[in-house]
Formats: sequence, C-alpha cells, structure tokens
Amino acid sequence: MLHSKKVRSGVTNIGCPLLFGAALVASWQTGLLHKILKTDEYILPYPMRIIDIMKENSDKIMLNVNASVKVALIGLLLGSVLGYLIAIIATVFPKYGSGGLTIVSAFNAIPIVALAPVFINWTKDVSDIAEERSMAAKILVVTVTSMAAMSVNAYRGLTELPPFSEDLMKTYAAGRLTEFFKLRFPNSVPYIFTALRVSVPGSVIGALVSEYFAEYIIGVGRQIRENILIAQYATAWAYIVTACIIGIVMYAILMLAESIILKACLHRT
Amino acid sequence: MKKLKKLLTSKFFITIVWVVMLIAVWELFAFHVENIKRTPENVQPHLSGIVDSLTSDRKINGSQTALQMVIENAKATLTRAGIGYIIGIASGFLLALFMSLSKIVEKTSFPYLMLIQLIPILGMAPIINAITGDIAKSRIIIAAILTFYPVATNTLAGFKSVQREKHELMYSYAANKFQIYTKTMIPACIPYFFTGLKISAPMAITASILVDTLQGGIGLGCLLSQSLKGAMTRYVFWDIVFFSAVIGILSFYIMGIIEIMMCPYRRTGKR
Repeated sequence: MLHSKKVRSGVTNIGCPLLFGAALVASWQTGLLHKILKTDEYILPYPMRIIDIMKENSDKIMLNVNASVKVALIGLLLGSVLGYLIAIIATVFPKYGSGGLTIVSAFNAIPIVALAPVFINWTKDVSDIAEERSMAAKILVVTVTSMAAMSVNAYRGLTELPPFSEDLMKTYAAGRLTEFFKLRFPNSVPYIFTALRVSVPGSVIGALVSEYFAEYIIGVGRQIRENILIAQYATAWAYIVTACIIGIVMYAILMLAESIILKACLHRT
Repeated sequence: MKKLKKLLTSKFFITIVWVVMLIAVWELFAFHVENIKRTPENVQPHLSGIVDSLTSDRKINGSQTALQMVIENAKATLTRAGIGYIIGIASGFLLALFMSLSKIVEKTSFPYLMLIQLIPILGMAPIINAITGDIAKSRIIIAAILTFYPVATNTLAGFKSVQREKHELMYSYAANKFQIYTKTMIPACIPYFFTGLKISAPMAITASILVDTLQGGIGLGCLLSQSLKGAMTRYVFWDIVFFSAVIGILSFYIMGIIEIMMCPYRRTGKR
C-alpha cells in the first residue's frame, strides 16, 4: 500500500512538470504559442530550427561560451575569496566589521547596468589589447556582484556558532588560529554554499550584462544583442538557449559539489 | 565621556565612518586620475564635480539642466519598473497561493520556478523587446518576470512555514478554507513575502534601466548610453550612475519600512 503511494507521488512529481514542458514545446512547434504571444515564426523560431542553428554554428557558439564562462568563473572565484576575506576581517573586528558588511551588502543593490560602464572606464589602462581590457572590466563586475552574497553569508557562518562551542575552545586554551580552523571554518561551509547558490546564477547574469557594455564584442550575452540588431532572430535564440544551458549546468555542478562536500564534512564530525 | 563612547560605537556612527572612508578613497583616486588624464571626468571625476553638475543651471540639451533631464528620464524608467514590479508581485503571490491550494499546481510549476532563476532573463531582454515590439511594454514585462519568482518562492516558503499545530487548531475550530487562509496562512507568509519584495525591488529597477539601453527614446538607460557615446557631457553619466545606485539601495530600505508599517507584530523585541 505504502509502496504504491510512493510510486504514485513519484509519478506526479516527475510526470506533471514533464507534461507541462511537453505541452509548452508542442504549442511552440505547432505555432499555438505564436498566436498567444501575437508574434511570428521569424522572431520566435520553432524549436527544431533553433537546434539546427546551434548545430551549424557550434564552433562559434563554443568560442563565445568560453569567453562568458571564463568571465563568470574567474569573477565568481575572486568575488567569493574576497567576500570570505571580508567576512574574516569582520569577524576579527566585530564592531567596525559588521558596519563594513552593511556597506558591502549595499553594493548588491546597485544596478549592474550602472557598474559595468564605470568599471570599463577604470580598466582602460590595464592593457593595450581591447580583448584583455574588456575581460578585466567584465570580471570586475562579476567580482563585485558575487562578493556581497559571500561576505554576508560567510560572516553568519563564522559567527553564528553552536552554543558554548566558543567556551569549549577557550577551555582547551585554543589560539585564534586553531579556533578558526577547528570551529569557525567548518561551521561556515554550509553558509558558503548558501552564498554560492545566489552568486552562481548571479555571476552568469553579471557576465552577460557586462558584455553589453564592453568594448570587445564577444560573449553569449553580446551575441544575443548583436544578432537582434542585425535581425538574425534565429541565431539570437540559439544564443539564448545556450545562455540558459550555461546557467543550468553551472547550478547543477554546484549542487553536485555541495552534496559531495557536505556529505564528507558530516562524515568527519 | 560614557556618552561619547556610546556614540563612537553606535551602528549609525560606524556606518558614517565607512561612508566617509569610501568618499576619501574615491577622492584620492580622483586626484590621481586628474594628474595623469586629459579628461578625468571620463574615468573618475571628483564628487564635487558631480554635485556641481546636478546643481548648476546650465542647459545641456537646449531646454533642460542635467538635474531636470535625469529626473524626467528617471520618472519614465521608474514608472515602468514600478508597473512591472506590481504585476510581478501580484502574479507571484497568486501563483504561490494556487501552489499551496493545489498539489498538482505545485508539482507542475515548482521545477520551472527553480529553473527560471537559473536562466539569465536580463540576457533575454533584447528578444523580449523584439517579440513585444514595444520598448515600454518589454520593460514592464522583464521587470515583472524578475519580480515574479523571488516573490513566488518566498511566499510559498511562508505558506509552508505555518506549524502543524496551527492547522490542527483551525481544524478544531471547524474553520473553512477561506478562514484558514485569511487568519493563519496569509499573516504567516507576510514576512517571507516581504523578503521576496526586498530582493526583487533593485532587480526590477536594473531590468528597466537595462532595457532602456537597447533602444532610443526616453529613460535613464537611453540617457546613459547617449552620455557614454559623447552626445552630452560625461557628468550626466555619473549623475545617472549615482542616482541609480541610490535608488537601488533606497528601494530595498523602503520595502523594509513598508514591512514594519504593515506588520508591526514583527517588532516583538521592543514590546
């Protein structure tokens, strides 16, 4: 009895979303979606056509994917490391540190659109090659956007400790470094992943949007825009699908890493 | 003496110190840029220069000063962001409500709600612009989509946070569905609902400005790209950068204030 119930809930768990997705694709392929959105197959091409174009242009698409993913990953890494360092500093100097955190989290509310051109101005002298210049500016944008999430969450992980654990460390006469590596750092690991869940999708968006303003024309986001400017809607859709795939794959990798690492951590304690 | 010490360690004072430090760093950098560049305002102007450009009554495009121009364009952008925001809030809340009422709706839409967060919607701005064919409409639509999912997921989390005991209590009162929702479920989800609102307010503004840059017309983003291309003084660009930063941060805090006004029961700590 219990078994059949489990199977049935499993069927609705997977079946319902699949059915909905299938209905969506079917209405798209049959042109029903075009009627609802009042558009034509020129601006919104059929799914099969988009897939064909992705196959045809796979080399060029991969080139742009490389550029965008590089920006997103480097920026994410820099931003996360910086954010974690800020959190450590804030933990060491709690009074002024948490005030600084408020400022950092306020950066989060600044529109990326305003940040990107400013950083492009700042990085004008970084290199003589336009490609490297633009790269630096784009990475800076992603760094700033992913820094805020990490610093706020890591600070919570470093300070919201299990009750009496700090006192326990004191009775062991543990130094600050030991306290950090044995208590604070392990405690912050789940919080790091909380931050990454926000900043991984955020880094992809940051990379795509900063490409709009960059000097050098490369990247998935920029290609969407360029292709629309020359009215190549089908190619633009191929890049949109690519962008979605990047977002989903990066998040899936994060989920996988999280489950493996958190399991290892739980096992140890 | 004690009072002074209290003031020095108060949260307000610490924030002020940080802001002053930021301004100092900015100005130092600006002085440095001034020495090495011919046109420092392209890279980093002094803050005083930015304030000057806002207060001066010099006409930039023949009829308007910089401040008038920024305000006029901001009105257009913020109105559209606001409309999109409200539509997004309403549809997000309704979807969360339906999801909590019906298991099938929840099962069907939850994976897609997760998926939509991973899709760079802002990257899709140009195509939405092409589909609607109207830039004003696409601004509203994108702001609405970006508002929609944080509100929907957070509100749903709020509905789910209601403890079992409360459901049992309502059951023992023989409350009907409507009463259960108005008396327990909706009040319980309000704090979560506002978390969604706080996350999405700056996003709606970002979306609206970004869509502006795609096409000419009126709006902060259009003005921003015109100024970057050199159609008017660079200070307009800096005005917009600071204006949008302030608006983005303010929108977050305004939502917090509305939250406190709407659900004073959260201020239990002060009772």
